[in-house]
Amino acid sequence: MSSKEEILKKYRANVRERYDMPDLSDIQAVTYPEPLVQFVKMSEMVGGQVIEIDPGRDINTLIRQLFPDAKEIASNLPEITIATRNPDTIGRARDLNGTDIGIIRGSFGVAENACVWVPQTMKEKAVCFISENLIILLPKSQIVNNMHEAYRRIEFNDYGYGTFISGPSKTADIAQVLVMGAQAARSVTILLMPE
Amino acid sequence: MKVGLFIPCYVDAVYPEVGVATYKLLRHLGIDVTYPEKQTCCGQPMANAGFEKQAIPLAEKFEEKFKAFDYVVAPSVSCTAFIRMNYPRLLGGKTPQHTGEGHICETAKKCMDVVEFLHDVVQVRQMLGTFPHKVSLHNSCHGVRELGLSSPSEQHVEKFNKIKDLLQLVDGINVVEPERPDECCGFGGMFSVEETAVSAQMGKDKVERHIATGAEYVTGPDCSCLMHMAGVASKQGLNIQFKHVVEILAAGL
Amino acid sequence: MSTQHSKAAKEFLKNPNYAKWHDATFWAVRTKRDNMAQGLEEWEQLREKASAIKRHTITHLDEYLNQFATNAEKNGAIVHWAKDAHEFNEIVYGILKNHDVKKMVKSKSMLTEECEMNPYLEARGIEVVETDLGERIIQLKGQKPSHIVMPAIHLNHDDVGELFEEKGISTEKGNHDPTYLTYRARLSLRNEFLTADAGMTGANFGIAKTGDIVVCTNEGNADMSTSCPKLHIAAIGLEKVIPDYDCLAVFQRMLCRAGTGQPTTTYTSHFRKARPTAHHMHIILVDNGRSEWIGNPDHWEVLKCIRCGSCMNTCPVYRRSGGYSYSYFIPGPVGINLGMLRDTQAHSGNVSACTLCLSCQTVCPVKIDLGDQIYKWRQQLDDFGTANPQKKLMCAGMNMLFGSPTMYKMATAVSPLANIIPSFIMNMKLNPWAEGHEMMKFPKKPFHEMIKDYEQ
Repeated sequence: MSSKEEILKKYRANVRERYDMPDLSDIQAVTYPEPLVQFVKMSEMVGGQVIEIDPGRDINTLIRQLFPDAKEIASNLPEITIATRNPDTIGRARDLNGTDIGIIRGSFGVAENACVWVPQTMKEKAVCFISENLIILLPKSQIVNNMHEAYRRIEFNDYGYGTFISGPSKTADIAQVLVMGAQAARSVTILLMPE
Repeated sequence: MKVGLFIPCYVDAVYPEVGVATYKLLRHLGIDVTYPEKQTCCGQPMANAGFEKQAIPLAEKFEEKFKAFDYVVAPSVSCTAFIRMNYPRLLGGKTPQHTGEGHICETAKKCMDVVEFLHDVVQVRQMLGTFPHKVSLHNSCHGVRELGLSSPSEQHVEKFNKIKDLLQLVDGINVVEPERPDECCGFGGMFSVEETAVSAQMGKDKVERHIATGAEYVTGPDCSCLMHMAGVASKQGLNIQFKHVVEILAAGL
Repeated sequence: MSTQHSKAAKEFLKNPNYAKWHDATFWAVRTKRDNMAQGLEEWEQLREKASAIKRHTITHLDEYLNQFATNAEKNGAIVHWAKDAHEFNEIVYGILKNHDVKKMVKSKSMLTEECEMNPYLEARGIEVVETDLGERIIQLKGQKPSHIVMPAIHLNHDDVGELFEEKGISTEKGNHDPTYLTYRARLSLRNEFLTADAGMTGANFGIAKTGDIVVCTNEGNADMSTSCPKLHIAAIGLEKVIPDYDCLAVFQRMLCRAGTGQPTTTYTSHFRKARPTAHHMHIILVDNGRSEWIGNPDHWEVLKCIRCGSCMNTCPVYRRSGGYSYSYFIPGPVGINLGMLRDTQAHSGNVSACTLCLSCQTVCPVKIDLGDQIYKWRQQLDDFGTANPQKKLMCAGMNMLFGSPTMYKMATAVSPLANIIPSFIMNMKLNPWAEGHEMMKFPKKPFHEMIKDYEQ
C-alpha cells in the first residue's frame, strides 16, 4: 500500500462526525462608499505610494523623475520605453539582481488592505521581488472592496502563478521595530492608470 | 420565588462577611432566601487539578440540597461557572430535553452568581448601599468568559458590564477600570501553587494596574481572585484594599 | 510540585526588566489584533464561518486531499505523501539528491521544524538557509524559535547586532540599529537566494478546487526562494488543505489580523506550478499524526489551527514565561494541546501552565476551544500516569474533607489557629502559597456559624 493509501485509510478509520459546509453567502463583508479612496489610504498606511496618472501623461518621464538615480530598469511592458532589462528575455533570473526599478502590471486592487493582484505575465517573476523599487501600473477603475470580491475574480494564465502585493516588503523581526525593505522591494509605487 | 443561598467553601471559611452581605442584600430586596445547612464545596478545586470525578458526589449532594429552590445564588463566579458548565455532564447529562424524564441537573442550571441574578432576574433599579469611594473593577475571568457578566475585551461585541451597572446603584461610588480590564489575575486554583512565580507576577502586575487607577479599593465578583491579589499585595507591600462587589452593594444597609 | 515549565518560568522571571519587556511586547501585538477586530463589523461572523469551514473541511479531508492532489498534478506539480516526519525528510532528501542540490533556501515552515528536517539534511551534506529574518537569526545563533510567528522576538537589537558582527554579516561594529541590521541581512540573504539550487516553502493553505499552494509572508522571502533557484518544494500538513477561494477569502482576511494585527501580509502568493525555466514543483503532503488526531473526540478541533499565533500573544502565562519554558516546540495554548497529542509522557508538564482564563479561545480566529481542551487533558493525566502525585494526594484530602460536612465543620472551627502559626513555619517550602502571598487571616466564625445570628 502506498503512503497515500495508508494515510487515507487511517483517516477514514478515525474520522468521526462529519460536519456540513456552512453557507458563506451571508457574510457581511466590509464595503466602502469610495473603494478607490480607501485603497489609496490603505496603500499609504502599508508604506506604499500612489500616484494618479492623467490621460496622456507620459509615465516613462514620470518614472525618471521619481527615480533620477536609477540605472537598471526591468520591464516587459510595451508602454515602458526606458527599460534596460526584460524579464522575458533575460538569461537567468539571478541576472535581474541589481535592478533599481521593476515595472509590472497589476490586474486590480483591494480597498480593505491595499492588495494588488499580480498574475505572472513574464518569464521570470523574479522581477517583482528582486528589484529594489517596484512600480505597479494599476487600472484606476479596477478596485474591489474586499478579499471575498477579490477571490471571485482572480485569474491565472499558463504561467500558473499569481500574488497579492500590499506595499513594500517589510519585517519587524528585530526587536519588533518595523523596517521597510526586507528581502524584496524596498518601495512600492502604484500608478493609477486611466482607462 | 424561592432562592437557595450557596456559600462556597473559601467564602465560608475565610470571607464569611461576603456571605453575610449576600444574605442581607437579598433580604433587603424582599427575596425569600434560605441557607441550607451542611454545605461544603462545589468540587472545583479537585476538577481544576484534574480529578473532576471527585466532584460527582458533591454534585449529587448539591442537587439534593437545592432541588426545591427556583434559583441557587452564590457570591462566586468561579463556583457558579463550574456548577453550571460541568454538573450536567458530570451527573450523566440527563435533562428533560434529552430523555424526556427526570429532573437531574435542573438544579445546576438554576445556579446563578449573585451579580447576574440581581442584574438579570431581579433587575434591580433602586439605589442600594452607600460607599463614597473610588473603586477599581476586577473583571474575573470566569465571570467575563463563562457567565457573560461583561463583554470580553477580545471580542467585537457591544460593550456591557453587569457588575458596573449594579455598582452604579451605590451612593457616592466612583467606578473605574484598570488597563487590560479583563486580563487574568493569576490565581487559577492549583496554578497558584504549581506555577508560583508566574502566578505571583500576574497578581503583582494586576494589583499595580488597579493601584494605577488611583482607586482605594479593588472590587470583583469572586473572592478567590481577591484573596490571591490581597495576598500578593501584602507580600509586595502594595497598598490597596479589597472588597467583594456584594459587600459594596450592601454597604450601610 | 514543580514541572519543567514552572522551573523555567521561575528562571525567566528572575530578570524582571526583560520579563516586563517580553510581556509588554506581546501585549502590544494583542492590542493591534484588538484594533483589527474592532475595525471589522463582521469580525465575530468571520470567526464563526472560519470555525465552521474548518470543521467541515477537516472532517471531509479524504475528499479534499484527493481533490487537491488531482488538481495539483493536473497543473503540472508532482505530489508526494509522507506518513510521518521520517518519510517526509527522506522524500525531501531524495528530491534534492536527484537534482544535485548543495544549498537550499527556505521560507518559514513550522512543519519542517516539527519534522526536524534541517538537521536531517545538514547531516547529509546539504546546506539549508533560513530566509525569514527571524528564523535566520536563530539559525545563526543555534537556537530554536520561541514563537511560531516571531521566532527571534526574545532577542533584542544588541543580541542581533553582536551576532551579525560575529558572523560577518554586518560591517559597522556597534551599529545595532534595526534598520541597518535588516539591510545587512538583506544583502547577505540576497546572495543566498542567487546561489541556492533549491527553494523550499511551507504552505499556509492548499486549495483543493484549484491545486494552489498559498504562502503568506511580509518579507517576500517565499517568493525570492522560488523565483531564482530552479527547484521549488512545498511542504504542507494535511489539515492545511481548504476547499476553494471563497473559503480562502475568510482565512486570508483573518490570518494576519489575528496574528500580527495587520490587515494582510505583504505577499499572498499562489503557486500552481513551477516557472518555465525551472524544474517541476514538488508538493509534499504530511500526515505525522494528523490522521490519528482526527479521531480524538475531545481534541480533534485542534486541527482547525491556522498557526496565526494569537493565542500565544494573549496568554498571560506565555507572556510571562516565554517560548523556551514549554517542553514542546510550539508554545502557549495551542502548543500545550499539540504537545499532548504528540506525546503525553513528554509534555504533560505543560498542562498546568494555564489559569484557564479562556482568553486564548476568545481570540482564536477559528474558535478552537483551547482552554476547555487543556482542562480536559488535566482529567486524563491520571490515566496517562503523568498526574502529579502531590496534587493527587491533596485532592484526595480535599475529597475526604468536603465529602463529610461534619469533618468540614470541625476543620473550619480550628482554622483560626492558622492565624497564630508563626510565619517562619507558614513560609516553609511545604507551603507553596506562602512563596508569593501573605497568609490570609481566618475569621473566628465561619459563615455557617455567623448566619445563625441573621436568620429569623
